[in-house]
Amino acid sequence: MKKITESNKNIGDILTKTYAEINERIKNGSVIVLTAEEMIDFVDEHGVKVAADEVDVVTTGTFGPMCSSGAFLNFGHTDPPIKFEHLWLNDVHAYHGNAAVDCYIGCTRMADISPFEYGGGHVIEDLVSGKPIRLKGNSYTTDCYPLAEVDTEFTIDDINQAILCNPRNGYQRYVCAVNSSEKTLYTYMGKLLPNFGNAHYAGAGSLSPLSNDPDYETIGLGTRIFLGGGIGYVIGEGTQHSPSNRFGTLFLKGDLKQMTPEYLRGVTYEKYGTSLFVGVGIPIPILNEGLAKKTAVSDESLLTDVVDYGVPRRDRPKLRQLNYKELKSGSIELNGKKIKCSSLSSLYHARKIAETLKNWILNGDFLLNPPAETLPTDTIFKPMKLTSELKFVKDLKKDAEICYEDCDIKIVAEKIVRKNINHIVITDRDHTLKGIVTSFDITKAIAEDKHELNEIITKRVFITKDNEPISNAARKMKINKISALPVIDDERKVVGIITSEELM
Amino acid sequence: MTVINVTLPFGLIKKVDDYSKVINVILEQHISVNILKFSTGQSGINLLLDIPEDKINSITEALQKNDIIVNKKGRVIIEIDLCIDCGACVSLCPTDALHMDEKELLEYSLEACIGCLICIDACPRFAIEET
Repeated sequence: MKKITESNKNIGDILTKTYAEINERIKNGSVIVLTAEEMIDFVDEHGVKVAADEVDVVTTGTFGPMCSSGAFLNFGHTDPPIKFEHLWLNDVHAYHGNAAVDCYIGCTRMADISPFEYGGGHVIEDLVSGKPIRLKGNSYTTDCYPLAEVDTEFTIDDINQAILCNPRNGYQRYVCAVNSSEKTLYTYMGKLLPNFGNAHYAGAGSLSPLSNDPDYETIGLGTRIFLGGGIGYVIGEGTQHSPSNRFGTLFLKGDLKQMTPEYLRGVTYEKYGTSLFVGVGIPIPILNEGLAKKTAVSDESLLTDVVDYGVPRRDRPKLRQLNYKELKSGSIELNGKKIKCSSLSSLYHARKIAETLKNWILNGDFLLNPPAETLPTDTIFKPMKLTSELKFVKDLKKDAEICYEDCDIKIVAEKIVRKNINHIVITDRDHTLKGIVTSFDITKAIAEDKHELNEIITKRVFITKDNEPISNAARKMKINKISALPVIDDERKVVGIITSEELM
Repeated sequence: MTVINVTLPFGLIKKVDDYSKVINVILEQHISVNILKFSTGQSGINLLLDIPEDKINSITEALQKNDIIVNKKGRVIIEIDLCIDCGACVSLCPTDALHMDEKELLEYSLEACIGCLICIDACPRFAIEET
């Protein structure tokens, strides 16, 4: 670091640089490039002023699952020509709503055969690896496109264009996920153990591209970047770009033919589906002191929320705020307890990306350019507009037929017949839930010669609450193969029942 | 609490409720135990138990006295070519057998692995296999 200071003495007190000046230095080999992690130490040692003066570019990197990724492909024409109606790449349905032989393969689309094992993300990895891809397609045929079917194999070299085009990549930061529920959850945030058994986070923290230019001064339409091991471009703000709460995103594109599988990896999250790990690195030109300060951002100052994925709603409860330093430490503190915490994205590869981009610039292979338009700083991420109102359990529940736990089986049976129902909820005298008995349980009791209600009650009962959306309750019944859920309040008192009949 | 993986070999199982032998041995130590997993493997009945950390030596001794095997050997294998060092398995490992080294590369310790297999379906690359 000292050497850098000395070698640049003659630059004197220039506090601002232009893109042209930085590119001149890249070309003549005098450019000073640091990774975002190195910049932290440099600013710490020499201060912001010196850093702004001497450092030309800071490189960033991130390598994580980015579900909003995919590629446009053009296969060229057959003879006679075909206009695809449907097409599959290695059994993964590709989107075809464009011209005859264009398609978009999305990374989360799963294979028709063996879903949850192989998907669009794997097709992209295989394509970049040079492996042959099976293309099957059909058409309703037209006068200009008479061919009805194609079944062939191709590699990336055989097709005209292969363009990675990702509507949402490189989240500025992401939440830390935990699970308060009593069962293991399989989510896009990985496997979350019950009762706050573990925690997962994503993003490279102080090395993340948007964290180093949080006000989008240098990143925007046309910014040249590292993408998937090749050169790519930012082509605007990503979908769901939410700058006001520091959840900015990027829309990226690049030529898949230049990329390498090391930085594009197909993945499968158990019971969630497939995705694609994408490697992204963005160079930040140090045009002024402000950018020198911002690129020296530390993990301590990057905050995010611990969010409870045990609550299956859009606005999941935020349990506490923490910083990336704590996230990267291997455990986080929650309710006075230490919870093991790990990343879903690779810090090793993020560092390698920042390092690779640094070397490209040092070797004079990569020039920086100002964006034609910077990213918006005022857009808002709105929820979906629903024209039909969401129904909750309280809207559809009916009164539960209740018997006390010391009740005679015969009385329970009589009640089932008299009310023409299938479920009797069992409570104590205070209406606290104790179990459930179905008409089948009564039949079984007779078959097995059982006489005590206690012997036939199902005591471990799946429950719901008034404010649970009906679709969540329905999913609970379907997964657990049951036909009713008692509705209880916070004191476990029974306030109704919801059965599969109400859902039909 | 700490997790141990014990096996009651098939040769020792005469009656269906013989697996309770494992629990009885532990209950004699007057401690609470949490059964995380109960499964039948190739060599016998397999239990994953959550026990107080300070009792691990006395429980291991008592179990071994009753011919119950306390597994010390690792039971998973990491396919290095498939692993992308993301860390999705690390938070799930009860013994830190799966952890990141100083370069942030995944490191696996066969010695520390108790074969609970919780990590297997958490790997997005199918890089963890049971041996």
